[in-house]
Amino acid sequence: METNKTDGEKSYFDPLVLARLSSLYLRARWVVEGVMSGIHRSRSKGFSVEFEEHREYSPGDEIRRIDWKALGKFDRYFIKEYEDETNLRAYLILDSSASMDYASNGISKFEYGCILTASLAYLILKQQDAAGLVTFSNRIESFIPPKAKRGYLMEILHALEGRRPSGETNVGKILLEIAGKMRRRGLVILVSDLLDEPEEILKGLRLFRFKGNDVVVFHLLDSAELDLPFDGNILFEDTEQADLKVTADPQAIRKIYRKVVEEFIDHLRKECRQNSIDYQLLSTSTPLDHALVSYLSWRG
Amino acid sequence: MSLFFLQPVYLLGLIATSIPVLIHLLNRRRLKRIRFPAVRFVLLSQRRISRTYRLRHWLLLALRTFVVFLLVLLLAHPIFQTGVGLFAGGGPLSLAIILDNSLSMKWSKGGEGFKQAKEAARLLISSLQDGDRGAVVPTNAPDQGRIRLKGEKEILLRDLDAIQIAAGTADFASALGRAYELLKEPAAQKEIWLMTDMALTGWENFTLSTLGQRDPLIPLKIVKIEGQGESLNATIKEVKMRGHGVGVGLPVELEATVVNFSGREIKDILVQLNIDDQNREQKLISLPPKAEREISFVFNLTQTGDHRGTVTLKKEALAGNPISYFTLQAQDRLKVLVVDGDPQTSLVQSETFFLTRALNPAAERDSSLFLPTVIIPESLGAVSLDSYQALILCNVPVLPDAFLARLREYLRKGGGLLLFLGDRTQAGDYNAKLFESYPALLPARIGEKKILSEAAAEKIQGVDTTHPALQGFTDEILKESLRSAKVQGYFRTEIAAGATLLSLANGAPLLVEKKGGPGRLLFFTTAADRDWSELPLKTAYLPLMQSLVSYLAGGKRGTMEPGISVGSAEIFSFPPSYVGKSLRIIKPDLKEREIPFTPNGEKASASFQENDLAGIYRLSLPPGEAPGAPQIYPVNSPFLESRLEAIGDRDLQAKLGAVRAEILPLESLEKGGKRTDLSLPLLFLLIVTLASESWLAQRF
Repeated sequence: METNKTDGEKSYFDPLVLARLSSLYLRARWVVEGVMSGIHRSRSKGFSVEFEEHREYSPGDEIRRIDWKALGKFDRYFIKEYEDETNLRAYLILDSSASMDYASNGISKFEYGCILTASLAYLILKQQDAAGLVTFSNRIESFIPPKAKRGYLMEILHALEGRRPSGETNVGKILLEIAGKMRRRGLVILVSDLLDEPEEILKGLRLFRFKGNDVVVFHLLDSAELDLPFDGNILFEDTEQADLKVTADPQAIRKIYRKVVEEFIDHLRKECRQNSIDYQLLSTSTPLDHALVSYLSWRG
Repeated sequence: MSLFFLQPVYLLGLIATSIPVLIHLLNRRRLKRIRFPAVRFVLLSQRRISRTYRLRHWLLLALRTFVVFLLVLLLAHPIFQTGVGLFAGGGPLSLAIILDNSLSMKWSKGGEGFKQAKEAARLLISSLQDGDRGAVVPTNAPDQGRIRLKGEKEILLRDLDAIQIAAGTADFASALGRAYELLKEPAAQKEIWLMTDMALTGWENFTLSTLGQRDPLIPLKIVKIEGQGESLNATIKEVKMRGHGVGVGLPVELEATVVNFSGREIKDILVQLNIDDQNREQKLISLPPKAEREISFVFNLTQTGDHRGTVTLKKEALAGNPISYFTLQAQDRLKVLVVDGDPQTSLVQSETFFLTRALNPAAERDSSLFLPTVIIPESLGAVSLDSYQALILCNVPVLPDAFLARLREYLRKGGGLLLFLGDRTQAGDYNAKLFESYPALLPARIGEKKILSEAAAEKIQGVDTTHPALQGFTDEILKESLRSAKVQGYFRTEIAAGATLLSLANGAPLLVEKKGGPGRLLFFTTAADRDWSELPLKTAYLPLMQSLVSYLAGGKRGTMEPGISVGSAEIFSFPPSYVGKSLRIIKPDLKEREIPFTPNGEKASASFQENDLAGIYRLSLPPGEAPGAPQIYPVNSPFLESRLEAIGDRDLQAKLGAVRAEILPLESLEKGGKRTDLSLPLLFLLIVTLASESWLAQRF
């Protein structure tokens, strides 16, 4: 699905513009509404079966939802409320390790990831599907199981806003752990810079697939990580491992660096394709609608 | 083949070749720290490119340094030369030609060396063009400071023609120093050319530290005038006298040492002795290779006063200085009045027996320079002291009052007194008459008599060999002989105005000289005979007594002077009355010079520096009181200057160290050569290097 945008529309999804919005909810809504305004709203496929609570009838409520038995008992009109049941359970897995805190152009990978995750949650919940959230570093930091409840978005957003990136990454191990916690099949959306051993990551992703889940990977990198745009002699210190340092002249190694990063990305992309995993590389300078469009195109 | 630069000053820019390296080092130091998540990729990239990157990096650094180097070379305008070219023609030239005119040049190249050196210098001067300037600096010239750069070739050629071979050793440090000083003036090109026979002696004296100033950018070209084959090479090393004193009618024995520097035997050299231009004796000798031989001459002088002498080598085709000058000052025999205060019927037991034998060992009139007359104290009133050059009092008990006035008068006129004490000496009388009276004659008060046992006898320890009367005792044998003498009896003394010349091991003075006042007075605290000391039995006694009496009689009379070396200064000391007067010196070439006397302590002294010729120099003294002073002195060429051995090119380069020296054979200067300007090839190389650098830099 393609969207043709003017310059004005582009800035609408500019991560830097979005970052200025104080509320994550607003950011997510801004993105989603912006994307959705340009495309057809798809019909919700969900249906409700599970009773959740009663509430007093008020004018405008559907007559068919009045609980006649309760009228007999209490002589008052009650409306039956049901929890929305859906055929999609989405696990939004966001990497919150220290490496995600890196920002070369004003917005960190984590901030970008938060907006993306919030937007996806907004979108999924808006479509009556269930959305849950997992944040992790080298351990699971928070786990919110997927639900399609009204107001659940706020819970997810609250969890996102309360999280600051820290700790080392261990994507592979965490994916295996999350996979172990999942009881039902669903959609797994991983947002991470994937700066870890690729084979370990792929092992986790494959397990998701093996359990029948659909998997979408948003590989999030800073533009500086892709291009190494520095000058002069630089002592590079790793954001996660204090003892990992190297002195290099970026100008001298830039070309080979790009090749190394490209090889890394290509390997992940190829392996994902072979395992029917939807892989999307995102730079923090990429407008956020790209990610959503990518997701929606996957959703058909 | 050689490489030189028209603008060598730009070579200082070679320092700039360090700039790329410095930038590299500074960049390495100036590290930026960045916290970065994808360090693993950086590390991986670094590992992958490490080898090739480093290679390229160093190659790039080398290319950049080379670019700076080439730029500096281009600015310095290099010229490549095959053979020996004259001047590059890149702007006005300042040229200093140093001509070795030392004595050795006289024999170099079979006697043609100096002429050829001058011809080479003439060729250089002729090659000068309009705007160029030059100067000719001789290695041996007293007035180098007056030499200036001149633009007229004719004047330079005249300066060159006027230079003659000198008698001394080449002073390369002075000549080079002057040349560098002359070339301090700005000029587009500067060169120093040195024409020399490379004689070892001159270069042995040269060290870079003696070179006052130098400019490493000025090229020094040394044209060597080498000898053809090995010639016979000998000279007179020294002439010295045997025995003590030169007296009229007494045999004088001279010994000349002749040295053969060559590696071949020299046969039939005639060695001739001349005194006052008269041939006195000649000997025919042969000299083994690299050896020396001593030849003795014995002759008599019939007249007192100064005599000129030469020893001359005569042999055809003999290279080396063949003549050595010396002077003799013959004196009539010294009349010495000896007063014996303890005469004995047996001569041996007499107080003066050993003393008179020391002064005249054969006790014959014509066998010694000293003519001692012995009297007893009672006869003092009857003799005229003025007839004697020296007076010796030995163990005289008391001094007659009538004698005292005459003694004072005698000393006032310059007479010399040697005083020995003894067992009969009455110290109180001596102190009253010679020490406590005015003016005091004794340098010390005579104290108590000290007589020691044989076992406790003191040896002589202190010997002031700097004193003119004791200079001969620098000889170890004599000094040892003197120090082996034990002294059992002596008088203690309290020195007031004197200098101790000899002292005992316990510090007691043995021989004291009176300081100040007229005349000369030496004072022994012991006896003249063997009653109180072993001194008369020692070898040193004879030379000691003769030396002391000679000193008392007026210093260096009756001596032979081997002379000073060319270039050394001669210092004259005269009585203080000469201060303000002038001394006229007539050089061997009959040129006259006048030097003033200046006060120097208690004397008047004059120093003459211009001893630049070998030969006999005459003094023309102003009227004054300097009886018996020498009127002539000899100056000789250093004997090593006759050694024609040359310094090797490598040794010379090593000696010159930082000086940019090139050593060329004379023939190469005559042949000339070809010059190629290296600017264009260097420019091409620079462009290629820059292109390579750009290509390589883009590959990063």
